[in-house]
Amino acid sequence: MNGIFATVFLISAALMLFYDPEGFLPALLSGGQKAAALSLSLLAVYCVWLGFFKVMEKSGLAEKLSRAVFPLAKKLFRSDDKESVYLAGCNLSANFLGLPGAPTPLGVKATEKFCAAKNKYAADMLFVLNATSLQILPTTVIAMRAAAGSSAAADIFLPTLLATALSTVVGAALVALTARRKK
Amino acid sequence: MKFLALVIPLLFIALFLFALVKKVKLYDCFTEGVKEAVPLVLSLFPYLAAVLMLSELFSRSGFSDMLTSFLSPAFRALGIPAEISPLVLMKPFSGSGSTALLSDILANHGADSYIGRCACVCYGSSETVFYISAVYFANVKQKKLLKPVLIALFANCLTVVFGCLLCRVM
Repeated sequence: MNGIFATVFLISAALMLFYDPEGFLPALLSGGQKAAALSLSLLAVYCVWLGFFKVMEKSGLAEKLSRAVFPLAKKLFRSDDKESVYLAGCNLSANFLGLPGAPTPLGVKATEKFCAAKNKYAADMLFVLNATSLQILPTTVIAMRAAAGSSAAADIFLPTLLATALSTVVGAALVALTARRKK
Repeated sequence: MKFLALVIPLLFIALFLFALVKKVKLYDCFTEGVKEAVPLVLSLFPYLAAVLMLSELFSRSGFSDMLTSFLSPAFRALGIPAEISPLVLMKPFSGSGSTALLSDILANHGADSYIGRCACVCYGSSETVFYISAVYFANVKQKKLLKPVLIALFANCLTVVFGCLLCRVM
């Protein structure tokens, strides 16, 4: 990430020097502004879902669920730690359901736990599964198509599902394969 | 779609009823969970800020346009229409940026055109990889991100190619 940041930043900044030196600072500021606005909306989302998940935890429902998904998730993440595997499992199910914002706090916590346990493999796997987008129903896109006057807004559902399933499987397989070669 | 609107309220009702049966102090417990939201957002904030500033520079400096025109022959070879290549490049960096691009494409080419459908599939099936990597690994000390980021980018790229192909036949 350090390399990517430096490269993209320097090239963009150099281009700005030539084409639009006055736009440099406004661009950075607008990025900062977006970060502030996004943090506020994330804060709102986290308030709702972290409250929800705490109730889930305290009521014992979390434990029941984690017992149900544990055997499968244990294999997927190659981890025996109940709590982090449970968090990761919840992250994946929230992704599947397309609950807006719910997967992120769970994913962040699970990644922290995995990394604290030196389980880089699990953290990578969780990240790739999230970054290849598991969503079953692309609600935003369907809404945008409908707004643009599509006659059958939902007919991209199947191609999207197939394409995203492919990327998820390929991503997971690559994580598994590259990890095995190292060992 | 009506059914989907019911899922979230039903989830909350079911959970809260279950919690009441289990004699959980709902108010105390819910607020305890909310308490964790502020430190979580604070810990994410620096990474969000850096990535968003970068993506803003990336698109405003014209670097993304240059990359687009540089890469468009390669994209065409893979079966990705040139019209949607800015979207493909923007998506890993910025969700809001790519949303803007998608609505542009839909307005210019029509929602039911091949380009429009292709753009929708690309948008719906890939993710903001850099943003997610910044957030997920924000609190991790040793950041060895190159491998997972590359895998995710590669998989998303594959999705786009496959998605454009599917749009042609479906």
